[in-house]
Amino acid sequence: MRKIWVIAVREYLAAVRTKTFVIGLLMMPILMGGSALLQYLFKDMVDVRDKNFVVVDRIGNKGLTDSILQFMDVHNKTLTVDVSTGKQTKPRLVVLAEEPAGTSQDEIDRQRFQLSERVRKGELVGFLEILQNSKSPNQVKLRYQTNRPTFMEFPIIAETTAAEFLRKKTAEKLNIPSESIQALSKPTSLENKGLTNRDEATGAITDSPDQSRFASIIVPMVAMIFMFMLVLMGATPLMQGVVEEKTARIAEVLLGSARPFEIMMGKLLGMVAVTLTVSAVYLSGAIWAAQRFEVAEYITVDFVLWFILFQSLAALMFGSLFIAIGAACTEMRETQNLMWPVMLLACLPMFLIGTVIRDPHGPVVRGFSFFPFATPSLMIGRISAPPGLPLWEPLLAVALVLVTTVFCVYCAGRIFRVGILLQGKGANLKEMFRWVIRG
Amino acid sequence: MITDAVIADRVTKRFGQHVAVNELSLRVPAGVIYGFIGPNGSGKTTTLRMVMRILHPDDGSIQVLGEYHHGAANDRVGYLPEERGLYKTMKVRDLLRFYAALKGSRDSDALIASWLERMGLSDWAMKKVETLSKGMAQKVQFIAAIIAKPELVLLDEPFSGLDPVNAVVLREAILDLKNGGTTVIFSTHDMNVAEKMCDFLFMIHKGVKVLDGTLQSIQEQYGLDTVKVRWDGNGELDRWPGVVKVTDFGQYKELRLERGGDTQKLLQELAARGRVTHFEVAHPTLHDIFVRIAGAAETTHH
Repeated sequence: MRKIWVIAVREYLAAVRTKTFVIGLLMMPILMGGSALLQYLFKDMVDVRDKNFVVVDRIGNKGLTDSILQFMDVHNKTLTVDVSTGKQTKPRLVVLAEEPAGTSQDEIDRQRFQLSERVRKGELVGFLEILQNSKSPNQVKLRYQTNRPTFMEFPIIAETTAAEFLRKKTAEKLNIPSESIQALSKPTSLENKGLTNRDEATGAITDSPDQSRFASIIVPMVAMIFMFMLVLMGATPLMQGVVEEKTARIAEVLLGSARPFEIMMGKLLGMVAVTLTVSAVYLSGAIWAAQRFEVAEYITVDFVLWFILFQSLAALMFGSLFIAIGAACTEMRETQNLMWPVMLLACLPMFLIGTVIRDPHGPVVRGFSFFPFATPSLMIGRISAPPGLPLWEPLLAVALVLVTTVFCVYCAGRIFRVGILLQGKGANLKEMFRWVIRG
Repeated sequence: MITDAVIADRVTKRFGQHVAVNELSLRVPAGVIYGFIGPNGSGKTTTLRMVMRILHPDDGSIQVLGEYHHGAANDRVGYLPEERGLYKTMKVRDLLRFYAALKGSRDSDALIASWLERMGLSDWAMKKVETLSKGMAQKVQFIAAIIAKPELVLLDEPFSGLDPVNAVVLREAILDLKNGGTTVIFSTHDMNVAEKMCDFLFMIHKGVKVLDGTLQSIQEQYGLDTVKVRWDGNGELDRWPGVVKVTDFGQYKELRLERGGDTQKLLQELAARGRVTHFEVAHPTLHDIFVRIAGAAETTHH
């Protein structure tokens, strides 16, 4: 036991006392939230050049066209400029009306082609046509053509403006006050709430605080990705270390002082300690951030404890597999051939991440969450997704993972014992299997 | 009190079809310097690894410090492997502390400091191993092997890579160890060093023992059959009756005589045919014995 401790301490210090570790610690939030971070950093760098559009009224409703043009004018003056500084914050949507070229299909097509050419040249972003809706005579059809289908601000505003105008006109015609029209067009509103609780002590019945999408999406997703990255970040250097020790003949010196199993366990425990250190840093950061942004109730003590437990088991399980790979290889290049099955197992929860968010307790996710290699990540995703799980499920999963971990460590030990002195050519999966069986 | 540090009894080790060590038996008395000599690929390193319990014999047994299997005794055995086995990014002092702790040695700082000073490495205590030269790394490796004050030390080619000055430092350290009661087994293919330092010699060739005993007893097996001569005469000495082989070293020639050859007669013959400025009757050197055996084995093999 003492030797395992001595080796574990050495491995731990060797890992954390490096620049790579500290940089990696800082890089992880950037890697995970990279795009969000970039967007935040660059949010002020918006393209504020004018965006030009054309409106063609083919139904002769001048009032409708004018309402769109007027609204755009107001929009440009008030919503695209910072009134205090006069600085342009968003691009202006500059709209001009164009007369329809004619009523025949040929003339219409030709006008559409000319306008399309102007879009291709970059003079316009798109053009809107106001048409008769032949299927539904009471509705107006708006037809928008563009080669930038992701920029929908103009057609959406135009549609809303047109709808509002037409509603008002109908109300006037039918002599209905405009408030009634509002009630007609949007008669319902939706409130999302949690469940109602009864306080055991006082008997008081209260509503839960409002549900936040944060809990059901962000926390499980971040937790799962974090677990995945932690395991990979810890296990890969472990494998590299074993290969290096073999090539540098350190393995031989170590074997002169400790048994192969002691060496392997020391390395594994050192690695688990490294991942726990990283976890501690990030969990503290997350808890601090959660408190600052007042979403602290989503990171409970239970969740933290489960996370630490599953993460340690994942580290042991995958760590032992990576050690086995390192022991079977004589140079780093060879590890790539053997790594793919383990990587596949590690990535499995990531393939299911969408399903975990959408349906955390559905049969697919539930089933896979008992598959030991996917358990740590999937279970933590399920635990953090409301409404949580009955206790027996994670407990059973832990038991299965423990058994699997012991099995993996045992097999890795047998592979390590033979492989660590291997020189020359690396072993393939078949040979490794033989080592496990026959030793 | 153990009388023998190591007892190997008909040990065999195979790697696939290749038999690296074949029914090897040896006895290393406690407190001696025991030389393991033989060419590359002869089975020296394999045997040492079996003594260290890194490898296990396929047949036979090895008793080390009274134990037959890997046990507590392993902590009392130090090992210097043939190749450097040091963590490059560790500092020298931390590395030595690590290897000492692994063998169960606590509070080794004072001992580490004194060995570093003795080896001229005090200034390098806080430097990373990768900054050391080959010779310095070898010295650090040596300290790592003995830092836990082992009873038995195995040194595989300890002098390789050392310049003459460092070789002297190491030699003196080994002698000190022996004087302190430590048993030292060292393997080498430098016969010169082996001759001078070892109390006992064990020669291994193609996995089999070919010589075993003190230098004296080994040499006595061959008798005084070597003559070193400096002679200015002409003549193909190897055709002379009684002369088995002639080795020309430029400055002098070394003649091997038949068993029971008459050295006085040879001297007279030489003097009659030229000036003799040096005539020395000696035992064959270890190097010579080795070449004879290895050569003979090659011939038999073919």
